[in-house]
Amino acid sequence: MKADRSSLLPAYTEMDDAALLQAITAGQSAALAALYDRYGRLVYSLAMNVLSEPAAAEEVTQDVFVQVWDKASRYDGQLGKVSSWLIGIARNRSIDGLRRRNARPEGHQMLWEDGLSTNDPPVESQVETAERKGRIRQAMARLPQEQRDALALAFFYGYTHQEIAAARGEPLGTVKTRIRLAMQKLRQELGAIK
Amino acid sequence: MPEKKNHVVDWLPAYTLGSLEAEEKQKVEQHLSECAACRKELRSYQAVMAQIPLAAREYAPPPQLRTAILRQVEGRPHPSPAAPAASPRRPWYAPLLQLNRQPLWGIVSLLLIFGLLVSNLLLWQRLQQLQSPRSDHFIQVPLAGTGSLSTASGLIVISANGRYGTLVADELPTLDPSQQYQLWLIRDDQRTDGGTFSVEDSGYAVHYIHSSEPLLQYTAFGVTVEPAGGSPGPTGEKVLGGSF
Repeated sequence: MKADRSSLLPAYTEMDDAALLQAITAGQSAALAALYDRYGRLVYSLAMNVLSEPAAAEEVTQDVFVQVWDKASRYDGQLGKVSSWLIGIARNRSIDGLRRRNARPEGHQMLWEDGLSTNDPPVESQVETAERKGRIRQAMARLPQEQRDALALAFFYGYTHQEIAAARGEPLGTVKTRIRLAMQKLRQELGAIK
Repeated sequence: MPEKKNHVVDWLPAYTLGSLEAEEKQKVEQHLSECAACRKELRSYQAVMAQIPLAAREYAPPPQLRTAILRQVEGRPHPSPAAPAASPRRPWYAPLLQLNRQPLWGIVSLLLIFGLLVSNLLLWQRLQQLQSPRSDHFIQVPLAGTGSLSTASGLIVISANGRYGTLVADELPTLDPSQQYQLWLIRDDQRTDGGTFSVEDSGYAVHYIHSSEPLLQYTAFGVTVEPAGGSPGPTGEKVLGGSF
């Protein structure tokens, strides 16, 4: 494994995401390896948070990067960053897997991290610097608990307003307000972290 | 719409998360198609969306996953980014013209072609037998392409007890990874999710239908283009449809 990574040409590890996608489009699998090294952990973590099952999360992660390999030429940089594109695919595939299993998560104990955990990798990747991750987690921690819970149900499980209201036994209007306020506050706090 | 000046700014957070109901979503998309200011707002929420997973619990992927992914992509043909350059189109019979240059391969190829013709004939005969709408063992519902996809087609095959079904679709365009096809099971104007699927580059797909109720309780079927993972109700273009 380490041999694989050390054998990557420095050019790949130094390329920005868009350049990596161009190299992937040209059929260079080492570029996909470099992209995986940047985002594999994030994609797998997202799938685990949705599906709570390592085998299913592995399947989603594999599916996401194979999709990237197959469809890299269709990425349109004007529509968003590569990381947004990847996360969008990973989230959709994960929620799709959840629905396919007809699973409705019980309890909705979504655990946001309030700070950097000891499980974090010792060397942060290019896009996930410790400072950036810490700021996002702190911004999330400043949200009221009920807004965090509603946001978790919407983001990780793909629930609609009505489904969240039903799951939590709360009025529909209350749920709508919580989702809106949570996203507005996050945008306000994270706006400077581009 | 609840917004001042009919803008949809307050709806954009939920729209970005996919939390709106189908009707609300349609209204937002209609407005976005006409309002640059709201599109700009939307992009700012999409940027927030991309950062949300960084705030969640982290899990380390197993080390072998990276190797498995690379092994998988290295074993599959990579689609060319650009369409084949404007090479002159060869007639379908061009390979036959070259057979006389390679006699052995020519004979093998001709035998192969003959074998395929016989095989196709047998398959055609079998198809004729199966094409009655309800055979003893399976019930079939043909689906026809709609709109610009008039050449697309599909066939739903349902077991005699109505509990299991499979959709076979052909000549559907491949979609962006952010989209998938979604099957709808229709009864009394109610659409029930029949699962999402994607097509191969050839436009072909086989989809096992998931349904909590016997499929024979439904009267019609439809396929639409939806965001990957599916929607609670049809929101995109209808591409296939058919009924008993």
